[in-house]
Amino acid sequence: MLPLPRFDFADPTDLAELVRLAGEPGARLVSGGTDLLPSMKHRLFAPTRLVSTMRVPELRQVEPLPEGGLSLGAAVTLREVAAMPVVQRDYPALAKAARTVATPTIQAMGTIGGNVMLDTRCRYYNQPAGWRVALGGCLKCEGPVCHVAPKGKGCYAAHSADTVPVMMLLDVSVVFATAHGERHVPIRELYGVDGRTWLQVPGGSVLVRLEVPPPGAPIAYRKLRARGAIDYPQLLTAVQHIHDTWRCVVSAVGPAPLRLEATSPPELVEAAMAEVQPLTTHLASPAWRKKLVRVELARAMAELGIG
Amino acid sequence: MRQPEPVPSPIGAYARKIDGRERIAGRAQFVADLTVPRMAHAKFVRSPHPHARIVAIHLDAALALPGVFGACIGEELPKRYGVIPVAQDETALALGKVRYIGEPVVCIAAVDEETAHRACAAVRVDYEVLPPVLTIEDALDASKPVIHDYARKPSNVLRRVHQAYGNVDAGFAAAEVVIEEEYVYPGSTHAALESHAALAQVEPDGKLTLWSSTQNPHYVHRDVARVLGLREQDVRLIKPAVGAGYGGKCDPFCTDICSAYLARKLGRPVRIVLEREEVFYAHRGRHPTRLWLKMGFSAAGDITAIDFKAWADGGAYASYGVVTSYYLGVFMTLPYRVENYRFESHRLYTNKPPCGPKRGHGAIQPRFALEAHLDKAAARLGLDPAELRRRNCIEPNTETCNGLRVTSVGIRECIDAVVKASGYETRRGTLGPGRGLGLAASAYMCGALHPVYQNEMPHSAVQVKIDRSGEVVVSAGTADIGQGSNHMLAGLVAAELGLHPEDIRVIEGDTSLTPVDLGSYSSRVTFMAGNAALAGVRPLRAKIVEAVAAKLGCAPEEVRFGLAGHPERGDGPRVGTETSDVSWVDAVWLAEERFGPLIHAGGYTPPKIGSRFRRQSVGPSPAYSFTAQVAEVAVDEETGEVRVEKVWVAHDCGRVLNLAIVEGQIEGCVYMGVGEAVSEEQAYDKGLIRAPSLLEYKVPTIHECPEIVVFPVESHDPEGPLGAKEAGEGPQLSTVPAIANAIHDATGLWLNDPPFTPEKVLRALDRRRRSGGR
Amino acid sequence: MPTDRILSFTVNGEPVRLLVEPAQTLLEVLRGPLRLTGTKHGCDVGDCGACTVLVDGAPRLSCITLAVGCEGARVETIEGVATPAGPDPIQAAFDHHVAAQCGYCTPGFVMTLRHLFAENPTANEAELREALGSNLCRCTGYTKILTAAREAQAIYAGKS
Repeated sequence: MLPLPRFDFADPTDLAELVRLAGEPGARLVSGGTDLLPSMKHRLFAPTRLVSTMRVPELRQVEPLPEGGLSLGAAVTLREVAAMPVVQRDYPALAKAARTVATPTIQAMGTIGGNVMLDTRCRYYNQPAGWRVALGGCLKCEGPVCHVAPKGKGCYAAHSADTVPVMMLLDVSVVFATAHGERHVPIRELYGVDGRTWLQVPGGSVLVRLEVPPPGAPIAYRKLRARGAIDYPQLLTAVQHIHDTWRCVVSAVGPAPLRLEATSPPELVEAAMAEVQPLTTHLASPAWRKKLVRVELARAMAELGIG
Repeated sequence: MRQPEPVPSPIGAYARKIDGRERIAGRAQFVADLTVPRMAHAKFVRSPHPHARIVAIHLDAALALPGVFGACIGEELPKRYGVIPVAQDETALALGKVRYIGEPVVCIAAVDEETAHRACAAVRVDYEVLPPVLTIEDALDASKPVIHDYARKPSNVLRRVHQAYGNVDAGFAAAEVVIEEEYVYPGSTHAALESHAALAQVEPDGKLTLWSSTQNPHYVHRDVARVLGLREQDVRLIKPAVGAGYGGKCDPFCTDICSAYLARKLGRPVRIVLEREEVFYAHRGRHPTRLWLKMGFSAAGDITAIDFKAWADGGAYASYGVVTSYYLGVFMTLPYRVENYRFESHRLYTNKPPCGPKRGHGAIQPRFALEAHLDKAAARLGLDPAELRRRNCIEPNTETCNGLRVTSVGIRECIDAVVKASGYETRRGTLGPGRGLGLAASAYMCGALHPVYQNEMPHSAVQVKIDRSGEVVVSAGTADIGQGSNHMLAGLVAAELGLHPEDIRVIEGDTSLTPVDLGSYSSRVTFMAGNAALAGVRPLRAKIVEAVAAKLGCAPEEVRFGLAGHPERGDGPRVGTETSDVSWVDAVWLAEERFGPLIHAGGYTPPKIGSRFRRQSVGPSPAYSFTAQVAEVAVDEETGEVRVEKVWVAHDCGRVLNLAIVEGQIEGCVYMGVGEAVSEEQAYDKGLIRAPSLLEYKVPTIHECPEIVVFPVESHDPEGPLGAKEAGEGPQLSTVPAIANAIHDATGLWLNDPPFTPEKVLRALDRRRRSGGR
Repeated sequence: MPTDRILSFTVNGEPVRLLVEPAQTLLEVLRGPLRLTGTKHGCDVGDCGACTVLVDGAPRLSCITLAVGCEGARVETIEGVATPAGPDPIQAAFDHHVAAQCGYCTPGFVMTLRHLFAENPTANEAELREALGSNLCRCTGYTKILTAAREAQAIYAGKS
């Protein structure tokens, strides 16, 4: 049995208290825990206190937005999201994406907010503690060198949140609570270019809800993974066609999802092939994943009836 | 309980296992489920280097932590052990040197696992790093360091085996077509869901009890006693429920030896349960193997000669590697007629976790090469691959050129069954592009003729006790690891006595309560322990027959068991004749009154089969099982993904003892073969395993598992228990080549290096597209 | 030092109150102080499904569920599935088809199916397979498990 390191626990029922506790040194938020707790077992983090979001009513709320669209509480589970009639009707790609996360059991534990905040992943980072000692650590945790790009200065751990590409095409607004009030961040501005500092939000911010605008053009979503369950993505693609614009998000290829636009399907594919540069963050080779960018985009467009 | 009908024979029935209900209820007790008072929990400090000299071990900081009870290091347990006497090279904790990343160096016991974990992190070990030996090429390179430098003739070749039969050169000279190719078969691991675990306790009388998650209680018993310097009779090894093995729990492990040692050293019980990562370091999985195969064929498709070489990358310790080096070559002459055969194998040491026996031990890799070769030959000769195989099939009661005595043979029936069911003859070559069918056949052993350590004793012994309560207790040193050996024993004994299998209580895997059985390996248990069970029960049955015949005044030949109940005479099952009978319990009374206690132990010793070849001591078996299977695959030519959609598999298991169990074993074999064919690989970068987790080591989920259609074939082996042979390993042999041949049918590609991952397949497709293929 | 908490919840319908450390998983509490060892640890990090239990009717990987987070919850484990009258139809079907070989993954599969049939009694083949994707089995090739699941579903349907 692999024990967790020791920590304290709080599960406030009040949003203000949640924000206060989240701001304390050594604190870390936990929702479903499906990514955080394995990482803590592997000694990637050793917070002194875990603060659960699961008992705060605001984070469990789902309601229509006044101007249309949907507000999804951060602690709503992926399974709940996928099962909601309104999501299935208005945002079927989001429902589909939620249902591709890991396994149905993990979807019943993990939350939509947790997926947005998911740590970046790398084959050199998401490993047991003893394994990392043998490796000599990596830039994202104990070590001096990035094994993906030893000559570089950055960390290239890959964004691996299955639902985020769809939410980027939906132009979701991410609402954080802070000690100084609410902050709205467009989800497409949430992620940075370094795998260590991939979240562009100040510490202590608490993700409260996701505001999904009214539905627009259909979105095709595809997840490439080694097996039909359990696995994190090897490549994520989401595609949308609005008037004369073809938009896509390609993810699992770097610390931030890549958002691209073009005026025709072939241009979109070529733009993606020029921009997307898979690295050795995954066990599957970069060359194969690069080839699959073209295939997956073509298939996504075929699902939309274009291309 | 009224038994209005005669008791049906359990043999061949599709029936639940006698010990199934404890499993569905979560009540089967595995080692990790056992606790005893004052029990400590121990964990290991492991090597971060593939090859290094241990300079110093600093335990002070760890031992100073509150809740830490004590530790041990390699110098305390210096006696080298191993199941194979000629290759005892292992210590529970590294001694002087570490030889792979993840090798245990220190074991620390503490009040709980979290404390033990922290204590391990507080240990500092100083190493002098040595250059590692990481590949087959490294191991064959005499300029590289020698991993086991204490040996008499230091070398990184554990064993080289060279055998030749017939006239291989003449065979090739007579061939119309000669095909020569190299294959590379990857390493893979068992990944049993229960990790290795042990719990040791010193009893008040000073004797040691060790509960171990093992397939081989007898060998663990011997080695633990030897390493600890105890008399074997003072060690009791108990195997509780085991969460499967597939070959991965055949060796004594650091868990066994360190828990036993620390329990004595600290004066308190010690339990060790490996973490998932550590299971990958314990390994003993499939040897990554480089294979070179040359075969000659006549124009009509007869095999004229086989020349074969294999280099097996064995990791840092021998484990069963000496056996592997033989199994790589011995079974290549089955199930086909081969007159001229030569093989040379090397089992090598490298600085990686030790390889050992995994389901289909040693025979999986060469079978892949041979069956792929046969399809290539069929293509060259313009023959149907099924026809090519059929015309080469051996007949029953023959001897192979390498001295294997073969009794029952159902290979033709196997081939016919899967060819017919899959529509192979009409559908093959018509489904593409992107879809195809592939056929392969194979043969495997039913236990080894010769024991691993030299002795003339029985390989299996089973004691049957029947007493006046009517209860039948079967005691055997066998190890049920989920494969159903308990049910097999109960079923055979029940069939002899006209009882239900559920009326039989089986006590197994306890070295103090049960007679010796060599263990659950080499597909030996049904054949050997099954025969021992029959030998145990039959004399008791004869006593009951005689006593009942005397009582009823009938001839002994007239006495039947399992008779129906009767309104006047009473409930069944009853023993007697058509016209008069006694109840089962009365029958036992009569026999016990007449003969005294009804207890008998039967043994099984394999027949002395003289081989023409003295060197052929590892590999020959009292009987062989046969398999044929057809796989249907879909290949996505844009992504390279191979989906195995359906497998038809026919297996000659001699006789079906329980249909549900036989089917389950065969389905499990195919599943494991699918994993090795498409996704599983225990791979390393500079000696560091790539993926020590069930997230990144890609065992198939339900989504990757094909529909599996099973056809049992019954060849009624003359020496098997009621005709039975094995079903738990053989069926895996032909899965990977069937899939490879199906990929060829789907794409035209011959792929010689499983696993056939999407990127490997797409690379091959792209290479062909560039060279102007389709 | 972290503060231990008194945890009150029900396990298989029985009220339980005990002191737990925040770092203890639900799996550790079930298998340790509560001695409910039917729930297994296979991977410890949420990959294999062997530790699946139901918390307030929803499936949970107990190896990555904090016990302190289960305050007031209704926890069901394999030990609570059978009734004095006999095993649950899922268990009976697993038994009949020998869908439990070594049996180590079995409790997790049974809990996954309990949840599926409670939530979606008419689950079709695709939904059944999707649900079973949460659990790994290394013995059976899933064949007998699927057969048993279909049979159990039919028995459930006949009962309701």
